Amino acid sequence: MRRNHIQRIRLAVLGLLGVLIAAAAWADDPLVYATIQPAQILLGESAQFTITNLGDGTNPITMPVVPGLKFEIIGRTREVQLINGTTLPSSSIVMRVTPQIAGIFTIPAVTPKAQPLVLQVNAASSGASIPHPTGPRAPIPPPIFSGGSIPKGVRLTDDGSAYVRLSIPKREVFVGESVPIEIEVGMRSGFVSSLNGLPKLSDDNFALNNLSRQPERTEKLINGETFVLLTWRSTLAVVKPGAYSLAAQVPLTVKIRTRPKQETSLDDRFGDPFWQNLFGATIPKDINVTSPAHDLTVSELPAQGRPADFHGAIGTFSIASDVSPTKADAGDPLTLRMRVTGSGNFDRVDSSMLEHLDQWKTYPPKSSFNTSDPLAFSGMKTFEQPVIATRSGVQELPALAFSYFDPNTRRYETARSTPLSVSISPALADQTAPQAPSTAGLPENKYASGLRPDHVETTATSSLIPLYLQAKFLPVPSIVVLAFAAGWVSARRRRGVGGLESERIASRTAKRVLAQMQGAARAGDAVLFFDSARTALQSVLATRWQLAPEEITSTEVEGRVGADDEIRQLFALADEAKYSGRNLNATDFARWLRIVRRHLLSDKAA
Amino acid sequence: MNHRMRAVLECCLLLGAVAVHSESQPVGYSAAGLYNLANSYARAGKPGMAILNYERASLLVPYDPDIQANLRAVRASAHLFSETPDAFDRVATIVSPFWISWIGVLGIALLGASMIVGQLASRYRLARAAAALLGASMVALTLCNALALWPRFHQGVIIAAATQVRVSPVPMGDPLFTLPEGEKVKISAEHEGFALIETRAGRAGWIAHSNFAPIVPR
Repeated sequence: MRRNHIQRIRLAVLGLLGVLIAAAAWADDPLVYATIQPAQILLGESAQFTITNLGDGTNPITMPVVPGLKFEIIGRTREVQLINGTTLPSSSIVMRVTPQIAGIFTIPAVTPKAQPLVLQVNAASSGASIPHPTGPRAPIPPPIFSGGSIPKGVRLTDDGSAYVRLSIPKREVFVGESVPIEIEVGMRSGFVSSLNGLPKLSDDNFALNNLSRQPERTEKLINGETFVLLTWRSTLAVVKPGAYSLAAQVPLTVKIRTRPKQETSLDDRFGDPFWQNLFGATIPKDINVTSPAHDLTVSELPAQGRPADFHGAIGTFSIASDVSPTKADAGDPLTLRMRVTGSGNFDRVDSSMLEHLDQWKTYPPKSSFNTSDPLAFSGMKTFEQPVIATRSGVQELPALAFSYFDPNTRRYETARSTPLSVSISPALADQTAPQAPSTAGLPENKYASGLRPDHVETTATSSLIPLYLQAKFLPVPSIVVLAFAAGWVSARRRRGVGGLESERIASRTAKRVLAQMQGAARAGDAVLFFDSARTALQSVLATRWQLAPEEITSTEVEGRVGADDEIRQLFALADEAKYSGRNLNATDFARWLRIVRRHLLSDKAA
Repeated sequence: MNHRMRAVLECCLLLGAVAVHSESQPVGYSAAGLYNLANSYARAGKPGMAILNYERASLLVPYDPDIQANLRAVRASAHLFSETPDAFDRVATIVSPFWISWIGVLGIALLGASMIVGQLASRYRLARAAAALLGASMVALTLCNALALWPRFHQGVIIAAATQVRVSPVPMGDPLFTLPEGEKVKISAEHEGFALIETRAGRAGWIAHSNFAPIVPR
């Protein structure tokens, strides 16, 4: 009885809805509009293009076609909106717009009355043309769904609204190893309101590296229900050995039923939450959806056989090397490259390349990593090391080696490259005996025009440094300087000893003579006065003229200084006073005393 | 005294003869050889090596007009700045450094002799003063020659085209600017195969040894 009553009510409501929809259809054309979010993206990103139909949704919506843009339907929704008390059903188609090239695109209007939309696509700032590595790619986990039924290993939530699946390609890993994983979240259309965060792992000893920011969105039909699938890819890094049970968790907001399941059988029969929303039969609830646990064994790297140059690289790698240029002058820098390709934890791929080589000067290498893999699990790491040959001739760069741990073979491996040969020419500037370059057959160039002719070869010197700066020449001026300094000191010393003595004697003699002359002047004894003066002057002149004192006569004096000289007159007065007894007055005595003093003292000074 | 002085003078002459003899050995550089080599490089279209060898030749014979003329011609062809020697340089390099060295020694001898004679005799003052002045002038000429040539002992010539001047003395150092072949630079320091250079305009940076050659080889 109760069951029949409920069914009657539902039939009545359905009829009422049909009337409402029909009235809306007759009243006006359905309103169709489109939005795009965001309106400006970078090349490589996607925008969400939504076409909303406020009506019965029976009008077919054609997919827009814009050259350079790829449209993919990622979801369809239907709901009922209450506008001014009127119930209005609406449906939406959500598309992902992926640009193939950069530029400004105009998406045509979905209806004649609507406005076209504009999407601006900017070129990516970097990494637009990353070369594809030649090494093996990361192992891709097998697809979760291969059919329409619930696959094995997937556990839906109790209400069947969502599930999470963690896919790990191996059961045993090593500490430090990078393992590509996939986390897939399935959300039943209309049952999940929102995704509240990124996936997490249930154990803190694991880390998710390079987790994709934007998950891949696809749509699948599982058991007749439409599920939106969000797929994240990442690499799993383990920091601690042990046995773990690992699961992935994703926070979601789902709509749960508020009525018993047997009362919602009609809703399920229609297969759409629209009816539940319409009757207010669901409420939102935050839940954490967890994937089934995976057993994982994490092992330590073996200590046995670990190479000295092992830096923690785990994976499968191979190396190749080259050097450029292969012909250079001594002193020119060359670039030695080592390329490590493969898959594994490239963040631990490191090498110091060549160190301390004879006849080579080496510098620290720098590295760069190229990959097209968003997980950075596979690709090519290039090490570039500048090296400079210090000697000319054919020089060999030894083989390079790179050690890593191969988790497949469970042992350390060392990849080696082949030795490289380089032809090094002697640098022009280093040639001590330079040879003239051959100019035969060369065309005349601008530097040769107007040159003055060559010179005839002359004697050569061993150095361009001036002679006065060369060590072997420095003794010559040094010895000359020392010799003349010694001679000067010796001469000065010699002159000092003889000169002082003679000066002292001359001074004493002069004082004595002058005192004697003063006494004779006071006594008026002209004979004694002039005799003393002549004797003193004879001694002075004898020294000056290098003669004996007795050789200084009036004739000699006259011959050397002339007849009018004071000394000659003094000698004549002395003779006159001696033989004629001439007397002088006081004034004459004083005058001749000054003259004699001047001559005696001037000779002393000289 | 006379015996001592004679022994000193004989010793000096002996050392001088040894030095002259060692200099005359044909083992390395000659002005004519360097000049001819520079001409060959110029004809081969290598302005850097040509300018380098002209500079080296002018160290030996600074007054040679052919060397100076060809150096100016190659510099002009390479669109490089040509230095014009000032009056001091012209006077200081009027004789080759080889003869300047002996002139300096002779000047020392004249100066010393005049001082010794002044101590021994008081006569001929004018002659002694003239000898002392001449000796001092000869020594001063030698010092001026050294002063004029000294910068060239710390200069080099770029011998590679478009030489990159880097911010640090490593091959992967960031480039600062580029120097043309034949440019003359001052070498301030050296480190691990690189030299810190300074251009005429005052810009400084590191270049590899293979890209330049010092005017006076080490």
